[in-house]
Amino acid sequence: MDIQEYISSGILEAYVAGELNEREMKEVDKMAEAHPAIKIELDEIFESVQQYGASTGQLPGKEILDGAMKEIREEEKEEFLRIVDEEEAVRRVRTPLWAVAASILFFISLGFNVFFFSKLEKSQQEIEGLTQSSSLLADQVDQTNQQLDYANLRIAHFLNEDNIHIRMDGLDISPESFANVFWNKKTNAVFISVDNLPEPPHGHQYQLWAIKQGQAPIDAGIFDHNQLIQELKVIRGNVVSFAVTLEKEGGSPIATVEKTYVKGNLKKT
Amino acid sequence: MSSQSPDIRTFLDVEEQIIICLNNQDRHALTLIYKSYSAAMFNIIKRIVKHDEIAQDVLQDALVKIWKNGRSFNRSKGSLYTWLAQICRNAAIDKTRSKDFQLTEKSKDSVDLVSINNQPDLDQRVDELYLRQMIDRLPENQRTLIDLSFFQGYTHKEIAQNLELPLGTVKTRIRLAIKQLRAII
Repeated sequence: MDIQEYISSGILEAYVAGELNEREMKEVDKMAEAHPAIKIELDEIFESVQQYGASTGQLPGKEILDGAMKEIREEEKEEFLRIVDEEEAVRRVRTPLWAVAASILFFISLGFNVFFFSKLEKSQQEIEGLTQSSSLLADQVDQTNQQLDYANLRIAHFLNEDNIHIRMDGLDISPESFANVFWNKKTNAVFISVDNLPEPPHGHQYQLWAIKQGQAPIDAGIFDHNQLIQELKVIRGNVVSFAVTLEKEGGSPIATVEKTYVKGNLKKT
Repeated sequence: MSSQSPDIRTFLDVEEQIIICLNNQDRHALTLIYKSYSAAMFNIIKRIVKHDEIAQDVLQDALVKIWKNGRSFNRSKGSLYTWLAQICRNAAIDKTRSKDFQLTEKSKDSVDLVSINNQPDLDQRVDELYLRQMIDRLPENQRTLIDLSFFQGYTHKEIAQNLELPLGTVKTRIRLAIKQLRAII
């Protein structure tokens, strides 16, 4: 077919004007695709008509496009909400009755759990309180027993006829202090009863000395300030007095005489 | 034979752009369609529904349908315009079957087809005014043919009857009128 003849036939104008049916339009489309000259011709007709319409005020108003855009936006919004709703509905429908029942039971049991747990907690607190007061009582009993042991031991030392008892009184640096020494004549063992000595400063310890005429004080042993009756060293010979000095922890070979807290002389027999 | 001006190349690009936008669900497609094809689409609708106001409603419906079916456009089955024309026709036919259309039809005794508005709008842009002056130079009978065929929704047959001309003459004169129009644009 002659292209120019085809173009001149007026079929392209009929095409743009909507004069052709769908089948005829598709035939024109095929021609336009096969022959660029036809395509160009068609595009020019479209453009001319559109421009003519704009110039003569015959184009449909822009409000129609705006209306369509608004409609699309609203429909998309509705569609979005519908999908969200449906998803929710599906989720709701898919919850079977047993699950609802289970949930209710779960929440009831949760309520009971909270109730019983708070009760349990209260009971535990009460038990804890009781345990504490009972251990406090036990401590007191222990302490009392210790005191009793000490008292008994002290009495025993006092009553022991083999023991020489020396009461040591406080000197100038600690007038309130006092302690007792029991010296066994048979075994020569020395016991100290810590009765009232101030808490030694950190890194220091009390030490007992046996004093003989014309000699330097003899070490009778260091002792623990907390233990009331303690067996110390064995001392033999002619002791005239016992004294307690404050020494560095671990004791000293030579007595620090100026730190003498208590001192007592043996009764001359 | 017409030469390929840059304007036309831009126009060709528009068809491509529209197809890409439609495939990407980009609403800009509708704006481009409106800019390039609104006259032809409106005309196709008027051929079926006749009334201007109803045609406007149908065009809006058609645009929404174009948007919804944008992804189904298949180039191998025809051009974009053929597809647009089909949607406009279907929308217009749907309208003629609706109850409110039939009521409107009855209330109007005759179809108000020949009220061609040649008065330029006051707010027309300068370039449009210039184009308008050029268009006014077209012979009256050619302008009438363009208006009837491309804007008022008349078929060639109806034009032939109204103007009492042979159908072949109508076709030739429309072709001539468009040729004249293209020459001045």
